[in-house]
Amino acid sequence: MSIRSAAPRSGRPTRLHSAVFQPIGDEGRAALVERRIAEAIMGGVLAAGERLPAETELAAAFGVAPATAREALLALRERGLIVTRRGRTGGSFIADSADPVRFATRALLDGSRVSLRDTAQHYLAITAACVDLAARRADATEIAMIVARLERGDDRDLAAWRRASDDAVIELAALSQSARLTREQMKLQGELSPLLALVDTDADRRLESRAALLAVLRAVGEGDAEAAVLALRASTRATVDWLIAYRERHASTITAPIATVVQPSAATTDASTRTERSST
Amino acid sequence: MSIHPAPPVSRIAEHPVDLVTEYFARAIDALDEWKDALAHEITQLRRTAPLTTDRLDEVVEPSALRLFDTVDLPVYGSGFIAALNWLADANSHLAWWQGPERAQLVLAAQSVNKEHIDYSELEWYRVPLATGQPHVAGPYVDYLCSDEYTITVAAPVHIDGVFVGAVALDLLIDRVERDLTPRLAAFGDDISIVNGVGRVLLSTSPARETGDTIRGDDLAGFERFACEGMALDVLIAR
Repeated sequence: MSIRSAAPRSGRPTRLHSAVFQPIGDEGRAALVERRIAEAIMGGVLAAGERLPAETELAAAFGVAPATAREALLALRERGLIVTRRGRTGGSFIADSADPVRFATRALLDGSRVSLRDTAQHYLAITAACVDLAARRADATEIAMIVARLERGDDRDLAAWRRASDDAVIELAALSQSARLTREQMKLQGELSPLLALVDTDADRRLESRAALLAVLRAVGEGDAEAAVLALRASTRATVDWLIAYRERHASTITAPIATVVQPSAATTDASTRTERSST
Repeated sequence: MSIHPAPPVSRIAEHPVDLVTEYFARAIDALDEWKDALAHEITQLRRTAPLTTDRLDEVVEPSALRLFDTVDLPVYGSGFIAALNWLADANSHLAWWQGPERAQLVLAAQSVNKEHIDYSELEWYRVPLATGQPHVAGPYVDYLCSDEYTITVAAPVHIDGVFVGAVALDLLIDRVERDLTPRLAAFGDDISIVNGVGRVLLSTSPARETGDTIRGDDLAGFERFACEGMALDVLIAR
């Protein structure tokens, strides 16, 4: 097919029209499954030591053939992200070495400031649209339930706090009553969550985010869309500023690549090689 | 504003509230029947060995799939939600089938970190547990199962007086709207269906948006008719 045939009869292709013919990429289904799970591990959604669903369950969940799920698991094993144990209590488990904070730091250093700011703007635009609608549509009792759960949570357990916080934002987004906005918000929350977990390691910043989230919820509960969006914007801004400051602090200190987890066997080989070298 | 009782049975489908009540009662009736049969099956199953998620799935699947075809409703999802801390091998579990493929729902977290899924406060679990009665929950964005704007009808299952979970089915608002709006529009009035918090499920008025709430002073412009046996009201503009 020639490029010309992609143009509508009315004349030159519009911008949306040309987007139809953008490359899809030839990534296979196994690679897609692999990427989905790898992102969840790197984002801390799947934490070290957790058991993955069985191969057949995974295949059913992703809507792929069992062989495809197996191929994805094999690739994840080769990357050292999961380990497989045999026996009755066996299965595939997230590797103990999978540390989301380390992955997030690496991702932050590998990325650029401009892309981080852009991601945050996208996040803010979608989340603010949800918050704005929720302020008009949510019942005060619905907000009270989210607040109560958030207040019950212990912010000193970082993993639990991140989950509770992400859940609260998603529940708030769902109160927009918009399925499309909620789906988009969840995707962005998932994307940003590892970085938010990084911010959580700063106790002061964590308490400020907690207070900000409660302020957004309170404003939504009162039907004050403007105050809710203002609080959300200020909090998102503070979060990104923190991340950029963190990035600058760590840019010089971390030089070794840590994006791929070194497998135990490879590490042993490295060590023994080094020993051999030093002994000669 | 006044709340009218539902009109007598002899006037079925002669009034919008009858039409709406009859529609959702199909789900409640089907679930009522299913919950008794399922309670019996689960009781049998528990005699031989502790109840696990796998064994529960096996017993729920045939009847959950049957529901898609036996209820005269656009069923999108169907299944059983286990009471929290009831199964032998998991804190929570949804034995759930959904979508055009009627595929089993697999939540990664379900077989991973079981404490991740806490549905204790979600309407379709909380209300049947608290009231012991079937409940029409929503409309709400179902970010756990369908990912769509959904109504979930759920009925509690009790064994020896103990709540063990709820049988439920999902209806997408998209389909309910297409089923009911033309039939309600035939009455000629400005008619809306709202839930317990005044959220609009659908309306014959082009100006009234699904998801908006009608409450407080806004209600003055409507006559309200309660749908018997469910937390839904029909609002007819004066």
